[in-house]
Formats: sequence, C-alpha cells, structure tokens
Amino acid sequence: MKDHFKERSTRTYRQKQLFTKAELEERESVCVHEQPAFCTAACPLKLDAREFVRLVGIGDIKTARAMLERIAPFPYILASGCHSPCVSKCRLSEVSEGISIGALERYVMANAPAPAGKGLLKFKKKKKAAVFGGSLFALAVAGEMANKSYPTTFYVAESEAADIIRSCASFLSDGDMETETKRLLAMDIDIIYNSQLGASFIDSLKDKFDLVFASSELLGEKPDQITLINSSGIITDSGNNKEVIDSLFDARRAGITADRLAQSLDPKSSRGDEGPFESRLYTDLSEVIPSSQIAENEGYTKEEAIAEASRCIQCACTECMKACIYLREFKRHPRLLTREIYNNTGIIMGDHTLNRAMNSCSLCKQCSVTCPFGYDMADICQKARANMVDTDKLSLAVHEFALLDMLFSNSEAFLSMLPPDKENCEYVFFPGCQAGAVSPETIIKSYADLRERLTGDIALMLGCCGAIAHWAGRTELYDEMKDFIKSEMAKLNNPKIIAGCPTCRNTLSEYLDVPVIGIWDILSDLGLPENTEKASGKAVIQDACAARCDSETQDKIRDLTKKLGYTVSEPQNTKDRCSCCGYGGLVSYANRDMAKDMANDRLKGVSDELNLTYCMACSDRFKREGADSKHILELIYGTAKDGFADISEKRKNRLTLKQSLLSDVWGINVLDEVLDFELKISDEARIIMDDRMILESDIIAVMKDYHINKEAVYDVKTELSIATKRIGNVSFWVKFTSEGENAYNVVGAYSHRMTISKRGR
Amino acid sequence: MSDDKKTYYSIDPEDKLYCSKCNELMVKADCAFAYLDNEFPVEMPVCPVCGLVYVPEDLAIGKVLSVEKVLEDK
Ligand code: SF4
Ligand code: SF4
Ligand code: SF4
Ligand SMILES: [Zn+2]
Repeated sequence: MKDHFKERSTRTYRQKQLFTKAELEERESVCVHEQPAFCTAACPLKLDAREFVRLVGIGDIKTARAMLERIAPFPYILASGCHSPCVSKCRLSEVSEGISIGALERYVMANAPAPAGKGLLKFKKKKKAAVFGGSLFALAVAGEMANKSYPTTFYVAESEAADIIRSCASFLSDGDMETETKRLLAMDIDIIYNSQLGASFIDSLKDKFDLVFASSELLGEKPDQITLINSSGIITDSGNNKEVIDSLFDARRAGITADRLAQSLDPKSSRGDEGPFESRLYTDLSEVIPSSQIAENEGYTKEEAIAEASRCIQCACTECMKACIYLREFKRHPRLLTREIYNNTGIIMGDHTLNRAMNSCSLCKQCSVTCPFGYDMADICQKARANMVDTDKLSLAVHEFALLDMLFSNSEAFLSMLPPDKENCEYVFFPGCQAGAVSPETIIKSYADLRERLTGDIALMLGCCGAIAHWAGRTELYDEMKDFIKSEMAKLNNPKIIAGCPTCRNTLSEYLDVPVIGIWDILSDLGLPENTEKASGKAVIQDACAARCDSETQDKIRDLTKKLGYTVSEPQNTKDRCSCCGYGGLVSYANRDMAKDMANDRLKGVSDELNLTYCMACSDRFKREGADSKHILELIYGTAKDGFADISEKRKNRLTLKQSLLSDVWGINVLDEVLDFELKISDEARIIMDDRMILESDIIAVMKDYHINKEAVYDVKTELSIATKRIGNVSFWVKFTSEGENAYNVVGAYSHRMTISKRGR
Repeated sequence: MSDDKKTYYSIDPEDKLYCSKCNELMVKADCAFAYLDNEFPVEMPVCPVCGLVYVPEDLAIGKVLSVEKVLEDK
C-alpha cells in the first residue's frame, strides 16, 4: 500500500492540466452570469444600458452622460433620433412595459453638464481621411474619425455647418441643433463647403487620401456587408440604413474598418461582436411587480427620470448565489470561480490563493438544481482537489484528520459479521461511519429491529463507504477503500445492502454491483416498530443533500415523520433545493467558519424548531450550532440525546459500539486496553482538544511514553509538566500534573505539524 | 549550515524550565523548525544533557501555526 500520509515538498514542481482549453470553455459557457442585459444586447452601439439606467436611478447623470458621449460622436442626435430597439427587448416588457431608455437618454443629455474641455491633447494619426456627403452616416463617420485623431477632411454640398446638421437630423429641437452645430465646428475637421458631390468628384480626389468614406447613395453601390468597403475601395454605409441608429452603427463599423486598414490588418478579421444579438442571460421575473412607463411629455423631470430608472430590475442571473452561501461568501459566480480555480491548479510556484475556495465547497450539487442551466460547481471543485493531490500541491493538513478518521472506521472500528450462526445472508446493514460516531445506540436498536421484523438474514458492516477520500480528492486512497469494501462484501457473498445514510447509499451503489437501499425504504414498508413513542407537534424536515433529486426518499422520510405523529414543515430551501449542513465535501475540516455559516443558513428561521434529519452528520452539525436536531432513526428508536459528541467521543463511540455488538449479538468478548496508570482529563482540556482536533487517543499515546521514560519539560512557574510525542505528521504536547507515580491530570494540550530539532554541533 | 547566525525566532528558557528526566535546567540552543521541505533556524529551550527541545504553547498555536498555513498554500 502506498503511504498516503507522506508530507509533500513545496519544492517539487509538477503540473497536470485540469481541463483542456476547450473543456474549460465548455464548462464556463454554461454560466450566463457575464452575458449582457437584454437591453444592452439589443443596442447596436452596445450602450451598457443596464449600467446607464442604474446611474440615472442613483442620480449620477454626469457619468451617465459620459457613457453616451463615448458611444456616439453626436449624442443629441443619438438621444433624439434613436427609436430605442432596447425597449421592446427589455425583460420587463414580458410582464409590463420596458424601461423608456430613450427618454432617459434625452433627460440625461438635457440635464447633465457637458463634459469640460477636450481632455488630453491627442497626437494626430498619420493616415489621412476624407468623407464625402451630407448624410447622417457621413456626418457620424467624420465625427468618429476626428475623435480617433485621423486628420479628416469633410466634403459637403451645404454652405454652412448648421445646414449639415439640419439636413441629417431634422428631428432635433432648435437648441439641440445649435449645440450639435457648435460641436461639429469645434471638432478637428476640415470642412469643405459647397462641394459638387458625385462619383467623378470623389474619383478625382480619393487618391490624395488613405481612407475614403462616402454615402452609398452617391455611388449607387452597396458595399461588403461586413467591412463596408465597396468595389472601388471606398468605405460607405451598408445601404440598408432605415433608422437613425442604423447610420450611427454603420459609422461605428466604418471606423473599425478604417482602424484595421490603417494598421495594415485584414478588415474582415478580429472585429469582435458587432451589432445587436440575443442575450442568453437568465433573469427571474417571479418577484417583479408589473409597472407602466412614466410618460415623457415635455421631457422627464428629475423625479420622473429617477422613478422610471428605478423600475429597472438590473437584470442578472444570481439563481445559484441566492441559494448557496458559499458562493455568496466567496463573492464569485460559478463562471468566474471556475476560471480562478482552474488558474489556481496551474500555479507551479507561489501562493495558491484559491485553495481555500476550492476546499470550501460542500460538493452538495445544489447549484446544479438552482442554476437554470445546471452548472456543476461540485464536480469542478472535486476535480480540482484531485488534480492538486495528484501533482502534490495540496497539503495533507487540510483533510488529514478526516482521512485518518476514515481509516480508523475501516480498521480498528471496522466490523463485518454474518448473522450469528449463519453461513449466508440476504442483506447487510451498513449504518455508516457517522451514525456509529454520533449515535451508537441507534445502530444497536435499528439492527435489532431489522433482524426481528425483516424476513431474511441480515449481516452487519460497520465502516466507512469511502466518500471522505473522494471528497478530499484522494483518488488512490478512495480506490483502496473501494477495494477494501468490495473484498469484505465478497466475504459475505455480496448481499443486498441496507444503508443507514444517504451518502453511503449513493457512494456504495456507485462502485458495488449489488442493490443498495436505504433503511427508510424498509421502514416505510414495514411501518414503525410497535414500541415507537408517538409524538406531536411540528418537525422541520432538513433534507440530506445526498438525497437531492431523489423524491422517493424525500417522500418516504416525510411519510415516516407523519407516522411518528409530527406535522411536516418545510424550511426555505427544501427537497431538491436544500443546501449542505457543512459536513459534505469536508468543509468542516477545511474551513470551519464556512461550515458554521452553512449550518446556520439552513437553520435560519427554524433554529428553535425540531429539525428532523436523515443524515447523522446533519444532526451533529446542527446541534453544534445550538439547534434542536434529531435524526429520524433516533426518533423512531427513542435514542435521541441532548448535546453532541466531541471528536474523541466520536471515536470511542465507534469502538464501544463494535464491542457491545460483538458481545451482545455474537457473544464475543473483546477486552478493553487497560492503562497501567490513571488518567484524568479536565473539562477545559476536552474543549480545547475538540477545538484543536486532538484526540484522547493522542493524549494517551503521549502519556504512555511519559509513563515509561519520564521525558518531559517541567515549568517551575506554572508547576506543570509538558510531555510530547510525534504521531504521524503531528507533534502533540500534553500539559499535566502528576499525582504520585501512577496518576496524571491533563489540563491542556496543543499540537503543531512542523518538526523541531537541534541544529549543528 | 551557512546561515547559522540568522535565526527567525528566539525563546529564552528564563531559568524556569527543567528537563524532568535529567533534572537539568534547560538552556537556549540552536534549533530548526522544518515543514514541507522548508527550514527555519530558531533558538529554543533545550536540555543540555539529553537534547530534549521544548516548543511552548503560545509559539505552537501562534507563529508556528501561521507559518504552517502560509506554506500549506505554496
Ligand atoms: S430591466 Fe433594466 S437591465 Fe433589464 S433589460 Fe430592462 S433596462 Fe435592461
Ligand atoms: S456548496 Fe453546493 S451549491 Fe454551493 S457551489 Fe458547492 S456544490 Fe454548488
Ligand atoms: S445560476 Fe449561477 S451558474 Fe447558473 S447561470 Fe446563473 S450565475 Fe451562472
Ligand atoms: Zn534531559
């Protein structure tokens, strides 16, 4: 067997790709969080309308105006002329009326202060541009080119600037017309008035310039519909422009073509996404209260504009985050999180800052249900852990305690027995490691009940299914656990399994070829045992995340709960949408605060009620957060207890369970190891030990050594002795006082993973 | 070791620590913490006879733990 517990070196540089580029992109693309809002996607000029509306809503019209100035050389023409294709695409139009984005644009242009000055002086570009024609396209292109700092000459038939604006944008008010005229005159454009526009005129001049633009109607020809270059190399409008926005959009595209040409690049390639498209964004409308547009009349007042903007729901997909506290706390949507975790696995040297995030997901798959597209964050986090284990980049410290606990379950505390005096069996009861750790009496009683009431002989197997190794990303160790359980199953002649825990059921059925059912399936058929005490009152069902998308199990638990006499109450996120208690994915080992938050999130609003679970880890986690929580089997068999077991009791419980079953059911007596000294551990020390993950067995190991060799440090100030022993990868220190030669009182303990040794000479 | 003189941390036994086995007062001596292939020279209380090294609780759950955490994410 491989040594799975050899500490790694931070100086080994190994690398293994987590996903191919294509797979990464495929996984990321499932998440639509970064898709633009519906309004934005509908805008040919890509105004981030969601942000624009938000700014108006908070009264920041200065920044809002800057957004318009950035996308259009003549923003008043845009604001007054655009027919607002965004409004009909606004998500609100499905339940009421879309946001009046056009009216908000007009409000902003009318009321926000004009940006001061021209900003930094820009260097003129070398390539010279000529624009022919007085169409809106030509005007806009001239503006685009001047703004891009190309030396621009603008040939028009008109005799003054005001006439150009009037002929292109007759819809402007007199005031706006004046403003845009001034703007044109202030631009760095050489305007040649009274030009004889026409094909021959253009022909005679075009060789003097590097970039030539003209209205398509002057040339009677439509250009290439992507680059807008026509057969004589002139850049024109598409010839299809009906609306104001079409001309502005053509001018934008013509500008991109010009930039590509000026840099001697292929104007067809790398143009990015152009024009309107359908956004794939998902936005929940279930809580939207329908409302109507506010009439624009003579233009919005400030109050009206803010009221209209406040109708906007700021479309975004947050379905998974609404339900998952882990995603909320790490403040990342799955697409971004995936990218960062992917990058984290690729770091060869340096800090792996996403380790904590990767190890804090409970692998509960709630997101796969809450996400409308089924994003599977759990699979990504599990694979990332496995990847980093394989490349020796994940430290043992994170999961070692849990892994050793699993090995304990499958060695010292392991038990696999055919029914007494039988050579064969029909079933094997597999209650699960957590049940043995948390509530051994429940196992004793439920095994007895099964043997009494279920037809067919039932063997017993106390152990761990191996899920812990899988969660930790320890693939090889998981394989070893699978082989171990398989070989033990073979010794029992592969009977059907009755699992006591939904996680065990899922895990075992994944790698064993025998039928695996839950004990709840049996009990729901057999009914409750006769001596079960009838209850009354309300029970909040806290589903197990391992029973997600398993309505049969969920229903049977509710049915049993009712049979017990309770009325069933559902918490906020229930059944398929339930989250994890913080045990899953080993969160409680990797990030204790996160695990606490997960448990408390589930208990929100119901912590004073009876929280009924069907996973022992859930009950344990909820009890640790101070809630009243009971496992359904504890209620059925009357074995519920107040309080929770600390980590040492959890180990001891498994050992005593094994011993008492062996002696009571099989008549085999195992003797407890007797220490040849007396050991007392104070209550304070026990609390510290639970907090620092120090087991009673660790303390005993240290004290056994001390009892023989008397090696310790004595502190005269505190009058305490401190003994130490290295066990595996951890140095344990025990603080104690002695009573005579054979009795010790332990008052404290601590540990560290670093080794310490004397240096030199 | 070349960086003999450079120590990251120093703990003085302050004449209050004894090695129980040897009944000797512990003295300050050159030691090294090591973790995941990294070494840190320190000065710790050591028994001059048997060489037992003492790591006080405050150091273990403070500085040592935080250095461990940093290295674990390397
Ligand atoms: S509600 Fe707001 S963000 Fe959503 S589409 Fe309409 S304007 Fe855009
Ligand atoms: S904790 Fe659960 S819901 Fe949240 S990301 Fe992980 S698997 Fe998804
Ligand atoms: S629910 Fe979450 S994972 Fe799914 S698309 Fe929305 S933000 Fe992305
Ligand atoms: Zn000594």
